[in-house]
Amino acid sequence: MAHTLDHTTTVHGDVVHLFESNGAGVAVNDLDGDGRLDIVLADLNGPSTILWNEGDFHFRKETLDESNTRAVNIVDVDGDGRLDIVFTHRTSGVSYWHNEGGPPGAGSQFARRTLPNVLAPAYVMAWGDLWGKGDLDLVTGSYDAELSQVQANAFLFSNNGGVYVYHHDGDAFLPQRLTDHAQALAIALTDLKGDGHPDIIIGNDFEEPDAMWRRAGDTWQSIAPFRETTESTMSFDWGDIDNSGQTALFAADMKAYEIDVRALAAWLPMMADMHPHLPKSDPQIMENVLHLPDGSGGFKDEAQRRGVDATGWSWSSQFGDLDNDGYLDLYVVNGMIAKELFGYLPNNELVEANQAFRNNGAGRFVPAPSWGLGSTASGRGMVMADLNNDGQLDIVVNNLQSPAQLFENRLCGGGSVEVDLAWPDSHNTRAVGAKVTLHTSAGDLTRDVRSASGYLSGPPSRLHFGFPADAKLQGLDIRWSDGAVSSVAPVTSQTRLTVTR
Amino acid sequence: MMERPMQPSRFPVLDLVNPREQTLALVVMLVIGLALAAVQMIWAGWPLWAATVMVLCLLLIPAVLKWRTDARRYGVVVMVLSVLLAAQGFHTLEHLAQWVEYHILNWPASQSAGFVSPANSEWIHFVWNWTVVLVMVYLIAKGFRNPFVWLLLTWSVAHSLEHTYLMARYVQMLQELRNLGVQSVSAQGLPGILGADGWLARSAFTQGTLFCNLPGLTTAPRLDVHFWWNAGEMTLLLIAAHTFLRQRLARRSI
Repeated sequence: MAHTLDHTTTVHGDVVHLFESNGAGVAVNDLDGDGRLDIVLADLNGPSTILWNEGDFHFRKETLDESNTRAVNIVDVDGDGRLDIVFTHRTSGVSYWHNEGGPPGAGSQFARRTLPNVLAPAYVMAWGDLWGKGDLDLVTGSYDAELSQVQANAFLFSNNGGVYVYHHDGDAFLPQRLTDHAQALAIALTDLKGDGHPDIIIGNDFEEPDAMWRRAGDTWQSIAPFRETTESTMSFDWGDIDNSGQTALFAADMKAYEIDVRALAAWLPMMADMHPHLPKSDPQIMENVLHLPDGSGGFKDEAQRRGVDATGWSWSSQFGDLDNDGYLDLYVVNGMIAKELFGYLPNNELVEANQAFRNNGAGRFVPAPSWGLGSTASGRGMVMADLNNDGQLDIVVNNLQSPAQLFENRLCGGGSVEVDLAWPDSHNTRAVGAKVTLHTSAGDLTRDVRSASGYLSGPPSRLHFGFPADAKLQGLDIRWSDGAVSSVAPVTSQTRLTVTR
Repeated sequence: MMERPMQPSRFPVLDLVNPREQTLALVVMLVIGLALAAVQMIWAGWPLWAATVMVLCLLLIPAVLKWRTDARRYGVVVMVLSVLLAAQGFHTLEHLAQWVEYHILNWPASQSAGFVSPANSEWIHFVWNWTVVLVMVYLIAKGFRNPFVWLLLTWSVAHSLEHTYLMARYVQMLQELRNLGVQSVSAQGLPGILGADGWLARSAFTQGTLFCNLPGLTTAPRLDVHFWWNAGEMTLLLIAAHTFLRQRLARRSI
């Protein structure tokens, strides 16, 4: 069931142009510590919005005097136990809103502060414990196309774009530049190799190949483990889609999900203008890619075989067990508005229905139109989170030029457990990077705490496990970001646990 | 018209397509054609497809003389078969050129267009493939019959149906583009029934079944799909013609 939220991401004029067309993100987390997940929505034109969750899908709106925002993450930057808000911007670096706390029931107060040495322009960002020391480090990537468009020569001569790692050491952030150019729309910090250390994956737009780095001591080595990659990488999400313990990485791209002529006609003139001329040997393909381990240390693309290679002009993509059957489903929001690309369409808009897929547990994602998630608003940022604490994942979408939406989950299936991790003696108080496995009679379900996923979006640090109603729960194993392991048993269905280290 | 028996041969198809007394004329026309094509492309800016069509027109002169001789020597049916072998042979070469450009030279798919395919390929392929079917029907009616001929006919009809689907979508797409006020965009190159993003791979009717997931049939790029359609058709045509001509020689020698 769709609810309209009191926030609309808009652009500076009446007409949407590139690259304002890329919209803005959304993040969800418990900002005031009342157990209910709050929402922060970025905006290109007006102020950003905090929606304080007052229960039963009632939200109190508060604006933050922060505009031109792109991505948003909610993390405890300074390790004081309170969750802060961090934005990236259209043409500048990150801004940091420190959570000052506040009276119970009134939400928190936020004060704008600076992150020392974090100066480079950032379109995407992700926070993670990259060195496994209990800190919260930062990775940013620039979107050089927009910087060139807006700043022109000032950007060309500034030489400050690219991908940066900021090692959080005490109160300082120590920058390390991994590359001096990027067209980053997506970022993933996830351990694809399974060695316990997160890798850095940057998804680039246009024909700029995606980039990936793996830590080697104090330095980062560029690697290229994928046979195929998306060409215009719009978003990443990852998860254990078959409960095998192995991580699959989903990369979203632009490809029409329908083959009827009317739908394709909307794409064709745009494609004729921008269709790439990549040689066959180039690994980039213009469709979604689902990277799965191939058993020999590499990865294979399973998107087409599993039915998720085409989801339209895709933006945020997220895995989540929407029907509580123990398998991660997939939701992708889509659509595009840009005079330069779709001037031949009414309102310059490619109208598409968001795509929901049910994981059938047998290796395929099956379209799930009956779930009522096929909104035709032009979605950009998107997060899955249980916003009414009923054990089911709801969905928040930050649309462009139309109000943000909240899709209340009324599928009413299976059981669930939700887990908050706390690591109060560290600078990573929400245990970003921790991997949690719930052992059940229906299989082992693995989730991880991350600060960023999808497109420009920040999921909550609260982990959601769905499972069949008759599954027996056997216990939780937690692998913290520094490698320490904890176990919790017993675990009861329909509960929310806080595991404190 | 007097029919003259073909000489006994292990490979009568090769004898049939041999230009014989037109060989010199064919070579001369080819040289002249290539020279003119180079001149026109370099100085007049002709596209490759136009230059290729010019060369083909020049080659048509000795070819027509050769086919006239075939008709006198072996009869109209064998002559028509000779024309079909030459024309379908060139058509297959066109697809082979595309395949080489894409797979060997690693050109982008959009540029792997062979010699003449940048011209309106949907119309050309639609007309060409149904013409092949009609010629096949004529030949069958005139005695061109053996098991490979029936296989060839089945293959040709299936191939033509794929092009009919492509043609129908091409026409619909042009109409849709006109409705959007777009005149300058080519609607060629859409996926067909087979191959990546084709009807079999993406139709709602096949989703969730094994038919949407057949390696090659639902994954190959259009260029490969049509290379194999034509390679299969040419192979069957050669075998069918070889069998037919051998039967004909055997009858003559009794």
